Amino acid sequence: MLAVLSVEIRKLNRSLASLLALAAPSLIAFLAFFIVLRGQRAAPWDMFLQGATTTWAFFMLPMSVTALTALVAHMEHGPRAWDHLRSLPVPRWRIYAAKALCVIAIVIVMTGLNLALTWTSVSVASVLKPAVAPTGSPDVAKLLLVNAKIVAAAILMIAIQLWTALRFASFVPALALGIGGTFFSVVATSAKEGVFFPWQMPVNMMAKEVWRVETALALGGGLGLVMLALAVAHLARREVL
Amino acid sequence: MPAAIETEGLTRRFGNRLAVDDVSMTVPKQAVYGFLGRNGAGKTTTLKMVLGLIRPTVGVARVCGLNVARDRIAAARQVGALLEAHGFYVNLTGAENLALTATLLGTPGTEIDRVLEVVEMRADAGRKVGGYSLGMRQRLGLARAMLGAPPVLVLDEPTNGLDPDGIADMRRFLKALPERTGATVLLSSHLLGEIEQTATHVGVVNDGKLALEGELARLKADLAPEIVLRTDDDVRAAALLAGHDLVAFATENGLSAALRPGENIDRAVAALNRALVQAGLSVFAIGPRARSLEDIYRRVAAPAQRPAQHQAEAA
Repeated sequence: MLAVLSVEIRKLNRSLASLLALAAPSLIAFLAFFIVLRGQRAAPWDMFLQGATTTWAFFMLPMSVTALTALVAHMEHGPRAWDHLRSLPVPRWRIYAAKALCVIAIVIVMTGLNLALTWTSVSVASVLKPAVAPTGSPDVAKLLLVNAKIVAAAILMIAIQLWTALRFASFVPALALGIGGTFFSVVATSAKEGVFFPWQMPVNMMAKEVWRVETALALGGGLGLVMLALAVAHLARREVL
Repeated sequence: MPAAIETEGLTRRFGNRLAVDDVSMTVPKQAVYGFLGRNGAGKTTTLKMVLGLIRPTVGVARVCGLNVARDRIAAARQVGALLEAHGFYVNLTGAENLALTATLLGTPGTEIDRVLEVVEMRADAGRKVGGYSLGMRQRLGLARAMLGAPPVLVLDEPTNGLDPDGIADMRRFLKALPERTGATVLLSSHLLGEIEQTATHVGVVNDGKLALEGELARLKADLAPEIVLRTDDDVRAAALLAGHDLVAFATENGLSAALRPGENIDRAVAALNRALVQAGLSVFAIGPRARSLEDIYRRVAAPAQRPAQHQAEAA
């Protein structure tokens, strides 16, 4: 498995994955930077970091997963590399599992970057305009826990997006699905039914009601892992004609 | 000793279309086996089943005695493949592409230099594949197929995209491969001339069925001998040949007639020459015609075309 993972990482290193991993959280950090500068009075740190986490969870994360899974799949669809990969003496499930692990790992990095870049941009803005420098100190442990839950709740969405991107040689089905999912996530962020909607499960980690957090986490994380395993098994078994 | 590749009743159906129909082929060890057929005849589908890329509807494929469907990974360890879709990552260099496959195969890095040397690609190995010509990609694909020195190479149309020099190089390379490395080569092509100059054995697939298979030299020897002749009056010459129970066909260079299998060609030519001269015909040329793979191919791949077409020409 390590050999397959190392190959996947080397391929990703030479793709634009790192640009994507940096670009998406940077946009939220830029937004936070200008929000601070436009502010009239100081606000608490938690407000900025929770705001960045929410924006990440309901919009930028689903969009990033859509783009990232399409990129990972098109590294093989583009050059028609499946026949070569699948003819090698390597269990095919490992090829797909390595891709899934890489996507999850990059999502974890991006989620962390979102917090780190937002913290940096807010700090820089408060240096430029000391009057609006954030007050208090952020509850880092709580923020990290919520962000960890967001990643866990995103696994079902990742499984669906990755399966679609790998299953179809055209990027259109995966993009359409991702754009559609993100659209509903944005326009119906607070809908209670969102706990059952894979693209809204991450943002439900910010919900006040415990049942919403638990339901979305159980479905997004628990069912997500099952779906990911099923997706890998199906992709490994199916014929690529 | 098991054959390098063996299939039994290999059949593959796509919906209502029968792409491969009951193909039982045997590729002996250290042979260069030319797998011939028109585009769409079923060559690539057969190769994909041999490589375990698609499952047969019915039948079995074995590589070095290993059942591909039951033990794909063990069978795949015996095979290096060059497929129509190369699947190279164009943003990586040639050497980096090979390194990815070498890692997956678990072969040492020194293998990369060895195979690059074999295909004479060391000088270009540091360049991105995106800048390679089709011929260079083909050679890099061959190098990748040879990583780990597998005993069997499966090459799908290996001369595609090569220039004449590249084709000649590839031909020499493939011909010498069994002697140099002990490998067996199964190569598919629709280019009769290439296969004829490279292969020791051939299999002809037509509409999904294996129409013929065997050692090329023996298949040629088994064909009925043919003579070609050029006279000042081919119509009279054809009539005279008919009197000797020979059916003459018009060709670009005169007349051609098949003798009976086993008939002594020298005696037949001498007798016909005598008869033609005695009939007052001027004989410009007469002699045996070398049998080619094309003769074998035409006989099995398009059996209905030849007599009708050629008799029409003769008339």
